[in-house]
Amino acid sequence: MDQDRRAQWLRGVLDLCVLGLLARGDSYGYQLAQSLQAAGLGAIQGGTLYPVLLRLQRSGLVTVYWQEGGGGPARKYYRLSPAGHTVLAETAVQWAAFAGGVGAILQERTAR
Amino acid sequence: MRPEIWLAALSDELRRHGVGPDLAGHVVAEAAAHLRDSGEQPLRAFGAPAAYAAAVADSVGGPVAAARPAGPVRLRAVDIVKRYGRRPVLAGVSLTVRAGQVAAVVGANGSGKSTFLRICAGLAGADGGRVEVHGTIGYCPQAGGTADFLRADEHFALIGAGRGIRRGEALRAGAHAAAALDWRPGPQQSRHLSGGTRQKLNLVLAALGDPDVLLLDEPYQGFDRGTYLDFWHEVWRWRDEGRAVVVVTHLLNQLDRVDVVLDLSASTAGAAA
Repeated sequence: MDQDRRAQWLRGVLDLCVLGLLARGDSYGYQLAQSLQAAGLGAIQGGTLYPVLLRLQRSGLVTVYWQEGGGGPARKYYRLSPAGHTVLAETAVQWAAFAGGVGAILQERTAR
Repeated sequence: MRPEIWLAALSDELRRHGVGPDLAGHVVAEAAAHLRDSGEQPLRAFGAPAAYAAAVADSVGGPVAAARPAGPVRLRAVDIVKRYGRRPVLAGVSLTVRAGQVAAVVGANGSGKSTFLRICAGLAGADGGRVEVHGTIGYCPQAGGTADFLRADEHFALIGAGRGIRRGEALRAGAHAAAALDWRPGPQQSRHLSGGTRQKLNLVLAALGDPDVLLLDEPYQGFDRGTYLDFWHEVWRWRDEGRAVVVVTHLLNQLDRVDVVLDLSASTAGAAA
């Protein structure tokens, strides 16, 4: 896929994807990056991911705590806050409508 | 570049970008853990130290927001309970707002946002809990609150009189505050104003006389995009002047700039149905 286009798409939804992943359970940066990649969103660099996490923290959508890793350094874990749940629920609906609209248009084009 | 060298450079750059020592330490520790977990090259994973530090500083809103100390408590609501008939609307909601803070009250429709604000303003009774207010209050309702047959300047004089402000001073303050919302009040009675302009009037009235606590219930309905931004600039200005501001909102894109978020959908989950 065109890398520029992929990056553009990602910019609009990365914070939502992070909130969505955190709805499954607490996680830390590198693990989130791996989950995003496993979900097919491509490689997310730390320089892109961590500022997004900081913004989510600053806005109260996630809370954080530090926990020792297995033998490694302490990791910063992120947890979805009640406000984060609200934003996620509301925006997921909006996104579904938006993506559905895009899908309908593109479908129509290829069906011709 | 070796990770230790890159991390040391990042530490310097964070300081240069005004990121406080606590946060900078956390950012560096998190980047170190990431580099160790992933085995990636720091320049490839995070880019140049200066660029990443700039992105971090940008994400946390810069040094100004972090350095500002909060003042004394202006509003304290503790364990507020409210029922309509047998339906619980608020089940033990608490909020503390200090001078120089902005609190956002969020939640789905029917989660009791407006009810909570009216209780804080003393306009509605609660079935439990208590509200302490230290200072004067300005309240801006979602709609209504203006008198159909009065002009804007008559509103300024009337509300000003209620707050002990002389007529001339009230008119000047009202016109000044209106201008900040891109509105020049004319001679029309308020029933002839558009919904958005009536809300501007409401907002100006709430802030007249510089109350210590501003309680604003989605006051921007009918505002165009530009006025909506003007409104938030006013909110930041009130905060910087040391007022305590509570904004009921369903627009969440300003949440990264408020100090306190009270989410009512969580506390009354299941109650709204």
